[in-house]
Amino acid sequence: MMERTVTIVPEAGLHARPASKLVETANEFESEVQIAADGEDPVDAQSMLGVSSLGAEHGEEVRLIADGPDAEAALDALERVLSTPEDEYDE
Amino acid sequence: MDEDTIDRIVSPELVSLEEPPANKDAVIEHLLDLAVDAGRVSDREQALADLLEREAETSTGVGKGIGIPHAKTAGAAEPTIAFTRSSEGIDFGAPDGEPATLLFMILVPEAGSDEHLEILSSLSRALMNDEVRDDLHTAESPKEVTTVLTNAIT
Repeated sequence: MMERTVTIVPEAGLHARPASKLVETANEFESEVQIAADGEDPVDAQSMLGVSSLGAEHGEEVRLIADGPDAEAALDALERVLSTPEDEYDE
Repeated sequence: MDEDTIDRIVSPELVSLEEPPANKDAVIEHLLDLAVDAGRVSDREQALADLLEREAETSTGVGKGIGIPHAKTAGAAEPTIAFTRSSEGIDFGAPDGEPATLLFMILVPEAGSDEHLEILSSLSRALMNDEVRDDLHTAESPKEVTTVLTNAIT
């Protein structure tokens, strides 16, 4: 199991495109990936419902937790999503 | 979110247990009309445009059979959650591919800071609970739906 704390860069916070991009990316890996807002219980990062429940805003820190054979790659990819301003996403 | 806040944004008149239209845009209008009839919308056209614009950005299907179209809009008179449910399910573009059978619409006025996101996250958290979703599927009256929601969200 690996963990990483990341600050949310997209202006809109973890909503709309950044949220759907995060869920899409989390589903590309075999590892189980969870995400937790500050002081809250982790939720499934592969579920849009879970990610929507965080209500995480721009500038907030979230904890990413990955468990599985490609955990490190998953954390790298998710960190990239959360650290990229929304206008720099690839279509 | 406290009980007074929830009571302010959900009410039985915002809940319809009749079978709604079976496509996404039509069901969004259907939910919007519940809010219009309840006197919570000052500009229907504006509210609809903002809901559809948000929908065009990314679809609001969140999985587990749930769709939550939402908007912060100058067309909303006050913060509102409307609800209906579809027996066959509607494609809301959810990542898990499940059609949406539980349908919520969140509207908040333009001035309401980021209240719509707070409502969205509180509602999402409540809906992660299997029992809450089951209770919404089986509720027999609008009043029962609002009771389930109030208890689940607070």
